[in-house]
Amino acid sequence: MRILLDKFSKSFGNTKVIEAMDLEVGSGEMLALLGPSGCGKSTTLFAICGIHRPTSGRILFGERDVTSLPSQERNVGVVFQSYALYPHMTVEENIGFPLTVRRLPAGDIKKRVAEISALVHIDNLLGRRPAQLSGGQQQRVALARALIRRPDVLLLDEPLANLDAKLRLEMRSEIRRLQKETGITAILVTHDQVEAMSMCDRIAIMKEGEIVQIATPSEMYNDPRTAFVAGFLGNPPISFLKGKALSGAFVSGDGNFRLPLGSLRDIGDGRALTLGIRPEHFGPKGDLVIEGKVAFAETQGRENLYDVVLADGSVLRSIQPVRDDVKLGDCVRWNLSSEAAFVFAEDGRRL
Amino acid sequence: MRTSRTLGIVMIAPAAIMIFLFYLMPAILTGIFAMTNMSTATGISGGVFQVTQGAVNRLGPDMPELASGIAEPRFVIDEEGLAALEALKLKPGYAAELRGQHIGEVFASRREAERVIKALKDRPSTREVKQISDLFNRSVLNTRFETRDALIGNLEKLGFRLKPEEQDKVARETYTGWVWTTDNFKVIANSPDMAKIFLNTAFYVAVTLMLFNVSYALFLAVTTHYMPPATASIFRAVWLLPRITPVVIYVLMWKWLTWDNGFISMFMGQFGVPPKNYLLDNAYNAWFFVILINGFIGASMGMLVFSSAIKAIPQTHFHASEVDGASRWQQIRYIILPQLRWPILFVTCYQTLSLLASFNEILLSTRGGPGRATEVWSLAAYHTALNNYTGNLEYGLGAALALMLVIIGVILSLIYLRIFRYDTLISKPLIED
Repeated sequence: MRILLDKFSKSFGNTKVIEAMDLEVGSGEMLALLGPSGCGKSTTLFAICGIHRPTSGRILFGERDVTSLPSQERNVGVVFQSYALYPHMTVEENIGFPLTVRRLPAGDIKKRVAEISALVHIDNLLGRRPAQLSGGQQQRVALARALIRRPDVLLLDEPLANLDAKLRLEMRSEIRRLQKETGITAILVTHDQVEAMSMCDRIAIMKEGEIVQIATPSEMYNDPRTAFVAGFLGNPPISFLKGKALSGAFVSGDGNFRLPLGSLRDIGDGRALTLGIRPEHFGPKGDLVIEGKVAFAETQGRENLYDVVLADGSVLRSIQPVRDDVKLGDCVRWNLSSEAAFVFAEDGRRL
Repeated sequence: MRTSRTLGIVMIAPAAIMIFLFYLMPAILTGIFAMTNMSTATGISGGVFQVTQGAVNRLGPDMPELASGIAEPRFVIDEEGLAALEALKLKPGYAAELRGQHIGEVFASRREAERVIKALKDRPSTREVKQISDLFNRSVLNTRFETRDALIGNLEKLGFRLKPEEQDKVARETYTGWVWTTDNFKVIANSPDMAKIFLNTAFYVAVTLMLFNVSYALFLAVTTHYMPPATASIFRAVWLLPRITPVVIYVLMWKWLTWDNGFISMFMGQFGVPPKNYLLDNAYNAWFFVILINGFIGASMGMLVFSSAIKAIPQTHFHASEVDGASRWQQIRYIILPQLRWPILFVTCYQTLSLLASFNEILLSTRGGPGRATEVWSLAAYHTALNNYTGNLEYGLGAALALMLVIIGVILSLIYLRIFRYDTLISKPLIED
C-alpha cells in the first residue's frame, strides 16, 4: 500500500523537528530513511505508525487519510530498535499478541503463529520467553509479531542496531527476503548507509528534519545532490579537497593542480569550491597525476586502504587491490579520474 | 589468616550486638513471655508462697480437708509460743499451766483457744487473753513464706501431713510469682472472645487489603500513568496526604466528620435526622470507617510502588502494544498487570503484615468499640498486656497473642509466595544457541 506524507510537520513544544516534509513510498516498495542521529527519521516513523501525532500535514495510507487515527486503527507493523518484546509472554504469545487483542479464536491464532514463525525460522522456539533468546532470535520474533496481522505497512526502526556484525549481515538479507515474499510496503529507519543501500529499493537521506535527496542506492551513490549526501554514502567515505574556480577548472588551494571540468564553465573565477573524490577513483588509473605522501595504510584482506597527504595538507583516500610495494611514508604519484570527481559549491550544492 | 578472621569478628561486632539487642531480643523475649503467666499480679521477678483465699478456692476441689483447714485460723500451744509468753513477763503461772496441761493442743478457732486461756488458774484479764492467744496464732492464711519449705513446715506444724504430690500442688497454688505455663495458648484456643477477635482480624485485614491497599492503589497507579506527568504528580501528592498527615490528626478529622456534633450529623440535621455518633453507632458503621481510615492511609504505599513499577516498564512496550492494536484496557490487562506481579506480591505481603500488626488507627478512632466489635488481634494484645481496664496487665497472655500474630504473618507470607509462584518471578539465565 502506498504511503504519502503531505506537508508533514512535527514539533515537540518549541522544538521543530520536521517541517513540511513530502514523501511518497510506492506500494510494495522498501524505502530507507537514512540520516545521522537527531535528523528526525525516527520521529517520522513514529508519526507514520501513530505513536506521535503530526503537528500539521497529512499522512495517507493508499487513499485513506490516517492523520488523526490512533495506532490501533492504522494496521501497521513496527519492529522497534529494542524489539519491545513482552518479557512475561512466551514467543508464541508475543507473536500472537496482535491477534489476541483482536479476540481471534485461539485455534486461528495458533495456526497463524505457526505459519509466520516458520517464515522467520523460529518455529522451534515458541515456548521460550524473550529473556531466553539470543539477539537475532529476538529480532525474528519482533519481525514475526509485526507481520502476523498482515499489516499495510511495515516499519523498521534501526532493527539491526543491536546485533553483532555477522548476524547483522544475515538479518539484512533475511528482512529483505521477507519483505519481498510478503510484498509489503516497508520503511526502514537507519543511520547505517550500508544497511540502507543493501536492503532498500530507494533511500531518502535526511538532514536536520529535511529530506535532502530521494533516489535508488546506485543513483544516489553516483549522483549525489549535495556534499552531505556524497559524504554519507560510501565506505570508506569520500574525500574532500578545498579549492576555487579558475577559468572553468578546479584549482587546489595552493595551486598545485588544476582539474578542468565541464560543469564549471559558467562559474565565476575565484569562487570557493569543494572537490569530492571517492577512494576508488584515486589510484594507479586515471587522467590527472597527483603527488603526495602515504600517511596511513591499512589492509582489509582483499583491498588496501591508503590516506595520501597532499602538499597543501589535505588528504585523499584511495582503495586499491592488495599490493605490497607501498609503505607508510612513501611518496606516491597516483592518478585521479577527473570524470568521476564531484564539484560542490560552498553551500554544499553539487555543480 | 587468623588475624583477618578476628578482625572480621571485631568489625561485625557492633552490628551483631545491635541486631541481637534490638531485633532478636524483642522476638525472643516475646516467645519467652508467651510461655509464662506473667501479669501485674505476679510481677516479673520471683514471688513468695502465700495462702490466699484464691489459692484456698483452687485447692478446694482436690483437697477439701486441707482447704477448709487452712482457710480458718489455727491456734497451737507450742514451745515457741510459750517462750514468747515467758518473754512478755506476765504472771509465770500462765506459761507453766499451758505447758503442763495443754502443750501440743490445736484449736480450730481463736474462740476455742481463748476459752482455754481464760480458764487458766491465774485468770488473765481480757486484754491479756488477747495478747496471749496472738502468740499461739499459727494460721497460714495470708501469711507470706519466702520459701516452699517454710510453707510446708508450717502446714506440718498445723497437723497437715502432706504427701509429696500434695505438697507440689499446694506449693504451686500458693506461689504468687510467675511460672512457666502453656495455659496462654489454651486460653486463646478455647476463648470465644478470641475466636471473635480472630474473625474480626481476618475480616479487617482481608477487606482493607483487597479493596484499598491493592485494588484502590492499583487503580490510582494505573489512572495516574495515563495522565500527563504534571497532573499525575499533583494527584499522587494529594493521595499521599493521609500518609503524610500525623495519624492522630488524620483520625481526629474523621472523628470530627462522624461525631454526634460532627459534620455528618450537622448535615443530616438539615433533613431532620437527629444527631448521632456515626462512628460508634453500630458495628457496621464502625467497620466502615475503620476500613476507610486504614485504606486511605495504606493505599498510598501501594500506589507509589505500583506507579514506579509501571514507570519501569519500557515505553516501547506501550508503543508496541498500541501498534499491535491493544486498547487501553487490553494494555492494562496484558502489559501492565502481568508485569506488576512482583510489586503486587510485595505490597500484599507487606501490607498484610503491617495490617496485622498495626492497631493505632483503630485505637485512636473506635478503641475497638462499640463493645469489642472492632477489636483486632494486635489491639487485643495491647489491651491484654499494656492497657487493661481492670488494671491486671497480663504480659504473658499478651505476649502469646503477639507471638501468634508473628506465626500467622510468617504462614501467610509463605502462602503468598506460593500463590504468586515466586520461583517464576526470578528470571532464568539467558540461553544462547
